[in-house]
Amino acid sequence: TPRYATPSIPSRTQPARTPGNVLEEARARLHVSSVPESLPCREQEFQDIYSFVESKIIDGTGGCMYISGVPGTGKTATVHEVIRSLQQAAEQDEIPQFRFIEINGMKMTDPHQAYVQILQKLSDQKATPDHAAALLEKRFSNPAPKKETTVLLVDELDLLWTRKQNVMYNLFDWPTRRHARLVVLTIANTMDLPERIMINRVASRLGLTRMSFQPYSFKQLQQIITSRLNRVKAFEEDALQLVSRKVAALSGDARRCLDICRRATEICEHDASDKNTTGLVNMSHVMAALDEMFSSSYITAISCASVQEQLFLRAVITEFRRLGLEEATFQQVFLQHQALCRVEGLQPLSVSEGLAVCQRLGSSRLLLLEPSRLDVLLRVRLNVSQDDVLYALKTD
Amino acid sequence: MPVQLQHSGYSAEKLQSLTESLPCREAQASTLLALMGEPDQYSYPSIFIYGHRASGKSYVTLRVLKELELPHAAVSCVECVSPGLLFEQVLLSLFGHTAASSLPRCPSLSDFVRLYKQLCSQNPAKQTRYIVLDRAELLRDMEVNLLPGFLRLQELVDDNVTVILLSEIVWDKFRPNTGLFEPLLLHFPDYTKAELQKILARDSHPSYPQELYSFYINILLGVFYSVCRDLRELRHLAALNFPKFCEPLENGEAKESDTHKLWRNIEPHLKKAMQTVYLREISSVQWEQQQEMMEKEAMAPKGLSAYTHVELPYYSKFLLIAAYLASYNPARTDRRFFLKHHGKMKKTNFLKKHEKTSNHLLGPKPFPLDRLLAIFYSVVDSRVAPTASVFSQISSLVTLQLLTLVGHDDQLDSPKYKCAVSLDFICAISRTVSFDIVRYLYDFL
Repeated sequence: TPRYATPSIPSRTQPARTPGNVLEEARARLHVSSVPESLPCREQEFQDIYSFVESKIIDGTGGCMYISGVPGTGKTATVHEVIRSLQQAAEQDEIPQFRFIEINGMKMTDPHQAYVQILQKLSDQKATPDHAAALLEKRFSNPAPKKETTVLLVDELDLLWTRKQNVMYNLFDWPTRRHARLVVLTIANTMDLPERIMINRVASRLGLTRMSFQPYSFKQLQQIITSRLNRVKAFEEDALQLVSRKVAALSGDARRCLDICRRATEICEHDASDKNTTGLVNMSHVMAALDEMFSSSYITAISCASVQEQLFLRAVITEFRRLGLEEATFQQVFLQHQALCRVEGLQPLSVSEGLAVCQRLGSSRLLLLEPSRLDVLLRVRLNVSQDDVLYALKTD
Repeated sequence: MPVQLQHSGYSAEKLQSLTESLPCREAQASTLLALMGEPDQYSYPSIFIYGHRASGKSYVTLRVLKELELPHAAVSCVECVSPGLLFEQVLLSLFGHTAASSLPRCPSLSDFVRLYKQLCSQNPAKQTRYIVLDRAELLRDMEVNLLPGFLRLQELVDDNVTVILLSEIVWDKFRPNTGLFEPLLLHFPDYTKAELQKILARDSHPSYPQELYSFYINILLGVFYSVCRDLRELRHLAALNFPKFCEPLENGEAKESDTHKLWRNIEPHLKKAMQTVYLREISSVQWEQQQEMMEKEAMAPKGLSAYTHVELPYYSKFLLIAAYLASYNPARTDRRFFLKHHGKMKKTNFLKKHEKTSNHLLGPKPFPLDRLLAIFYSVVDSRVAPTASVFSQISSLVTLQLLTLVGHDDQLDSPKYKCAVSLDFICAISRTVSFDIVRYLYDFL
């Protein structure tokens, strides 16, 4: 009797160990959660944001800034770095004291919860969203003595969208008040977000202070990894170059780059236990890691599928060619399947077995299917390109 | 002599009585027993049993569970309009009253699993617990995660529990597109004629010998087997017609050995029963009354379908006739049927090739309100003012479901209708206003 058939991650019982050798040390440093000493290749952006926020703090005014860029370009990390250096400067009394608050659109159940979170972080008060909005409104529009500047970081801005857009409007409107002394930094992935989803009233409040983070080039990625490793000698130069070139060609995502490096160290460690090598991560390890992370799992799935499943996929393609369409009913495909079975010298399947094969392929998303209660009339489409299927079927 | 069910872990006399209570289902029962294993062993997480109506699915399953005194919960999914009721019934019969009442108001599957886990940690299963879900096809229409959840219940709650699903639908129609844990499939085949004979002959009348009843069942199956193999239906018919069969014996007209005479007596009677009581045209109570009245040769009561005549107002009848003509005649032919001085039309031009197939086979076609009124004025001899009452009669014909509104895009501006009455009905209506509808129908030209 099969028990515990659901795959799951084993739970950790012991705390993580401190790094023992070079590779473990490198892995700890390359982890996405370990904060780097500095952010290389983002000096210009760092400077722009720093001077923007600093000028607002010194003048005692407010303003908005919109930061965009594809994932993994260091938006959040740069802003955090800016805030850290500003806080240092404030401690040394170079600039006036300020207050930093961070909210994240992804962490909210409802856009209106933003008010509640801001209020809680500002004044430890708990209130309903409506009440919190009223309190914040009052706080930002009335003058108060000894009021310090507030820097608000709004991450994942696009999730704060509501139909009337009042949350966004308020966030951008408060800094324009005379007594608000509020600096709002917003981060999102798309560059044209203000034009696309915001109504004019909101977009105008956002202002024109925009900044976009470009994806990293391969040189920058290489520099990031080197700075992270910081003289821990674990990688060969060529290996690093390969990783950064590959990642830069695909997305320019630094987090992806770090993940691949970490996986490569694991592969290297695994190899080293078998036979004595140099202990450095070389090209072959990186190639293996890249293959694991970038190769399409569909092709592997097809080439590992059972005989009847592969035959069914072949029948789907044959039927598509016959019809000249990208869609066929199960009935039509099944007739092809039976013909193929006879050609291959296999026992033809019954309809139930054929449906089971089809639905197994459907549940692994190789096929796109209609609900199963349509029985033999359910329509079948491929979720992968025909060329991929043929390529996977040829390599036996 | 039926094969004795054999299984270790259960006492022999229990199995003996079980065998006697399950005629013609020994093979299925022994498969089920083999799957269930000994009481303390883990059974397969889910078993799916399918077969036609009245093939003994729930009877065998529940009989086995009851006779062997296994802890089980039998729930019919028809009764459970919400998953909450289902969970409540399961917990009620497995853990008693207090368990079921501690469910939250609108329990989700995770609430159920959490509570089940908590309860079975207090009293862990010494025997396999069974959850029998009858009419399981309704599970598909409840929440999406319910069916996959129940199929994996053993793993989720980490307890010795087996879910048995009963359904008339094959398993292929159950799988959701995201896949699930496949249950074991168990098929209950239909009873053969000999098996039906054997099962039906078990419940004989106490005042008559067993052989006579068996002979009666034989006649009954000879008449009904070609149309009905449903055990419940046949049993109902057998009980209903047996007094009639016994009549000659009571009157002394025949002896028990006069099989031919008995057959001659009952056979026309059974044939009549097929047309009336089997189709539920007349209820079984009426049928019994009728049998008593038979001597007086009273007029047979009309069946349900004879009551199709409806009293309608004068203009409503014509409106309905007009609607019927508009639905079943092509609009092209309206000029020929309803205009006095239509131009000459040759029959060959008149009949188009694709319209040669009968419109009555294709069903009614929608028509606009204008056409209905035009035909209506042409059909009615007198002058009728288009008053509010005429229009309200059209809409009340819609509420009576004699007409149906097609495409609910606009109620006021040129609505389209279909006529939803049969030819017999409209013929009866047109006879009451002495209008020969057949002459106006394109199909009967």
